[in-house]
Amino acid sequence: MINTALKNIRRSPYQALAAVSMTGLTVFVVSLFALVSLASQLILTSFETKPQVIAYLADEHKPEEVNQLIGDLTTTGLVKQATYVSKDEALKIYKESVGNDPLLLGTVTDLGIITADVLPASVEITAKSPDNFPTLVSILERSKIVSSTPNGQKEIDFPQDVISELTAWTRAIRTAGLILASILSFNSVITIMIIISMKIANRRYEIGTMKLLGAKGAFIIKPYLIESILYGAVGGVIGWLASYIALLYSTPFLATRLVGIIPLPVDPLIMLALLAVLVVSFSSLGLFSGLLAAVRFLKR
Amino acid sequence: MIVFDQVTKVYSTGNTILDNVSFHIKEGEFVVLTGASGAGKTSIGRLLIRDLLPTSGSITIEGADLAKLKPGQLPDLRRKVGVVFQDYKIIPDKTVFENIALALEIINYPGKQIADRVHHLLDLVGIPEKDNLFPIQLSGGELQRAAIARAIVSEPKILFADEPTGNLDDATAKDIYQLLLEIHNLGTTVIMSTHNEKFLPGHRHIHLEKGKIVGDSATSAHPKKHNEQRAMKNDK
Repeated sequence: MINTALKNIRRSPYQALAAVSMTGLTVFVVSLFALVSLASQLILTSFETKPQVIAYLADEHKPEEVNQLIGDLTTTGLVKQATYVSKDEALKIYKESVGNDPLLLGTVTDLGIITADVLPASVEITAKSPDNFPTLVSILERSKIVSSTPNGQKEIDFPQDVISELTAWTRAIRTAGLILASILSFNSVITIMIIISMKIANRRYEIGTMKLLGAKGAFIIKPYLIESILYGAVGGVIGWLASYIALLYSTPFLATRLVGIIPLPVDPLIMLALLAVLVVSFSSLGLFSGLLAAVRFLKR
Repeated sequence: MIVFDQVTKVYSTGNTILDNVSFHIKEGEFVVLTGASGAGKTSIGRLLIRDLLPTSGSITIEGADLAKLKPGQLPDLRRKVGVVFQDYKIIPDKTVFENIALALEIINYPGKQIADRVHHLLDLVGIPEKDNLFPIQLSGGELQRAAIARAIVSEPKILFADEPTGNLDDATAKDIYQLLLEIHNLGTTVIMSTHNEKFLPGHRHIHLEKGKIVGDSATSAHPKKHNEQRAMKNDK
């Protein structure tokens, strides 16, 4: 049966090429969108787990005042976590974030070495939802220990729209990917179905003879179903390979921008799992396409 | 074994190809069907494998009414009745070996034994060295032998050979006839349609004219007598 299917493919290489390239393109796009979707989810998770609201404190604050503020925030029930970051801890965080850059550490400037005195203490809050930002910010704005700018504005950082924007983008990417993948998958199904239908039609004499010799429908259509599965599987491997090459090629560019958010290069095991999912899915899609063609033929 | 009971076949064009045909063929018989072109010989073969359905009447093989067979039972019937088609129906892009092996693959014959069985059949039909040739590379007689080999390779109980000696020279026709006799001697019920009256002696002979049986040597109506009577009428 497999030999017959392979012989059918060899007999019409351009039809096979059309089927495999269409499936390969679909898998390439699906694979890329799966990776982008995974990456956007990781970015979103990373943002959600980081402090989202930072209130800088005036130098003269007292520990009990800080505790009072944290208490006020946590009793709202809108806070996942609220922590106090002292000046020393702020310096440590700063050093970790700039690394050994002498310019940023101030060791090569006239400003002198950056010390803990330069940096303000703060309260860092992780909200349960970005929707809670206004309530939390209003509590912080009423607090006396939160420092103010010369024009009287409280020094509070909160990326109010970033997470909601990111969530919206993630949803949009997923929706767009799903729509594009659906359209391309539909095209793949139609392409394989038409090619298999053409092959069946071209071999009507042979199929008619086989029926007269007592062949059952399953015996007749099996090579065509194997052929359809092969188109799906080979297209799956090619599409996955193309997306992996694209990912490896862009890894140096992405790695510097996503440091600390997504570990790059991507774990080969993740890529192998993706390959398995894609090959199984698109082999099934190929089988479905072949069945559509074969059922049309068997109904005649 | 095979019973045609008042079988009539009318095509959608209104052309009556068989008209109230009845006969009974016993297991192991060798029956020769004769008649002019269009007399209905090929239609009998097509009705036997239910490639056609009768307009009226019934056909039974081993007690099974062919009209009542479900689509899923059709392959079993066709495995029981081997057919040597008038146009051979040899698949052009398969070799002789592949064409014959196909009939075995269809019945799920053990894969490892297919080659042995096909070569045995090629020996039997007298073209052992033609296994790797394509149909276009064979002569008419060789094609006919290949078609016979394919029809009998799966050991059907019944063999319908439709004009197996047509378009062949006398010597080749005789060889093919001898081959059918050998197959018959192995226990197969053989129905052979032919124009060639040389093959009539010793066999049951059914003669058809315009879709009607005008003679059956197994009954009182003797085809040869009928022919003679008809010839006399024409002379008058």
